Amino acid sequence: MRNNILIGILLLASGSIRAQEDILFELHFEPLLHNTSLLVENNREEFASYDLTVETLKFYLSSFELYNDGKPVFSTIQNCYLLDLADPDSWKISLTIPEKLSFDQLNFQLGVDSLTNVSGAMGDDLDPVNGMYWTWQSGYINFKLEGTATTCPARNNRFQYHIGGYQAPFESLQTIQLPVNPNSKISITLNLDTIFNEVNLSENYKIMSPSESSTIFSKLLKKAFVIKR
Amino acid sequence: MKIKLIISMVVLIICSASMLQDKYELLYPNYFPSPVYDFEKNELTTEKIELGRALFYDPILSKDNSISCASCHSPYNAFAHTDHDLSHGIEDKIGIRNAPALFNLAWQTTFMWDGAINHLDMQALAPISSPTEMGEDFKNVVEKIKRKPIYPKLFFQAYGDSLVTGERLLKALSQFQLTLVSAGSKYDGVKKETAEFSDQETAGYITFLKHCNACHREPLFSTYQFKNNGLSIDSSLNDFGKGVITQKAKDSLLFKIPSLRNLSYTYPYMHDGRFRKLKEVINHYTSGIQETATLDVRLKNGISLTENEKVDLLAFLLTLDDKNFVFNPKNKFPKKILLPSEGIMNN
Ligand code: HEC
Ligand code: HEC
Repeated sequence: MRNNILIGILLLASGSIRAQEDILFELHFEPLLHNTSLLVENNREEFASYDLTVETLKFYLSSFELYNDGKPVFSTIQNCYLLDLADPDSWKISLTIPEKLSFDQLNFQLGVDSLTNVSGAMGDDLDPVNGMYWTWQSGYINFKLEGTATTCPARNNRFQYHIGGYQAPFESLQTIQLPVNPNSKISITLNLDTIFNEVNLSENYKIMSPSESSTIFSKLLKKAFVIKR
Repeated sequence: MKIKLIISMVVLIICSASMLQDKYELLYPNYFPSPVYDFEKNELTTEKIELGRALFYDPILSKDNSISCASCHSPYNAFAHTDHDLSHGIEDKIGIRNAPALFNLAWQTTFMWDGAINHLDMQALAPISSPTEMGEDFKNVVEKIKRKPIYPKLFFQAYGDSLVTGERLLKALSQFQLTLVSAGSKYDGVKKETAEFSDQETAGYITFLKHCNACHREPLFSTYQFKNNGLSIDSSLNDFGKGVITQKAKDSLLFKIPSLRNLSYTYPYMHDGRFRKLKEVINHYTSGIQETATLDVRLKNGISLTENEKVDLLAFLLTLDDKNFVFNPKNKFPKKILLPSEGIMNN
């Protein structure tokens, strides 16, 4: 008897869940350099002729949230995604959201939150084998950008930006807020030209630890994410 | 229906597989505080500890397969190193600091002399990657371990499948190190009322409580905080300790307070191994303190001790030597795993 009631409750519960359909919500990110997508292999070869090329581009995105009229209507359970130029599939992130959700703003964080930074070894995208963890001083590298530029005076003209830091005063976690139309697919551009227009590669070409310059750089990154029209 | 049945069978199998692993209970005396390591995220099992022990003693973790963790952290030195004041890594490269003893790590929140590491799990990345220690890329270490025949089996026993990941490797290394508990010294005997101090040791204990306990707090013999204990700056190293990490003036010359357990096995002393004898350490506190801006107030004018008090204090410090820990066979090189052809007879 008791069991029957229990099963009944379970059936009812599953029924009510079904009434509220979830849909796939896709975020497509795309890195642009010289106004051209870096995800297309052919384009990258063409870049060899440019004065500036990018070889490594890897970064963490986390804490996706949707807002409507300034109020939060959806958030992911703490989750970090590693986007890597070497792995084009990693630039598509799929979330599930309720079907009829209205929203007008997308928020996400660039980097790994401070709690995750102090919680020991993690797997998957956060596994230190990904090369996104500083070894001599604890902490995730939130954003890694490396390449060459003829204006860069370093050895082999290489510039290296390893941006991270979770402790005051050198925090580099940034929240990015973008106004969006409620579609089931949203395309977002990471415009590297915005970054290179503002950093002076002949002077500031190497950031390898949490510092004032990494904090400044992280604020610059925030501006480089734009909705693709 | 059928699918549900299969799912529940699979769940059952997974559950029972994980139950096959031997849970390991970390034993420590009731006068110890609770450990701070979060065991919920890395539950101790006999199999994972064994895997961690194999990794700790395996030179495969270094670039030229010559140096293991134990090369610098020897069990006979309470996992410190006594031949060198500064650590020696691959190709005889010399580091900038003295390798500290490893025990009671479950009670520490920050690691290294300067606190650069915020979690035991992440510590191993530092020596593995350091060009003056093991000089190896972590990703490459994981690849090498996948290919070494003994490991798929050890990973399977520990994790239920033989997948080798960075996370599992780091957590297994933590597991072995977390089991390194030192709580079997004469001092512990006195606490457990199975031993008694001599009159001299009792006198030394009183001196210790008065002058040293604020920083080297019993029963762990450290608060594991960071302090400046008045060492002069070695201009060949210019090591400013915690200040280098935080870039704050108030942290300049602060170093982690080391535990005073097992001192007979862990010489030389201090972050740069500058003192070889305990007597020299005590003389430092009585007459060698250097006044700098961040010197701890307790040590402002040095500690004044009579010759008798010094001798008594030394006698007390020796009651913190833990032979049971240093000679514990469970902590030693796992011959059976790493040298199976030689190790069948004797552990
Ligand atoms: C070349 C010598 C060397 C090797 C090899 C080495 N260590 Fe160390 N270890 C050191 C030195 C030196 C320090 C102190 C570093 C500092 O403070 O900057 C240290 C610090 C530590 C600490 C921090 C202890 C504390 O109380 O803060 C742990 C834990 C540790 N090592 C574990 C390991 C493990 C695990 C390995 C193998 C993956 C390893 N070590 C390999 C020399 C070494
Ligand atoms: C203000 C805090 C403080 C007080 C008080 C203090 N110490 Fe220390 N002690 C330290 C710090 C910090 C270090 C590590 C310094 C370094 O290596 O730079 C240290 C290191 C040591 C070491 C070296 C241990 C090793 O493994 O290298 C010994 C031994 C020692 N102290 C004994 C004593 C004794 C005995 C007393 C009391 C007479 C005492 N200390 C009082 C803070 C203190």
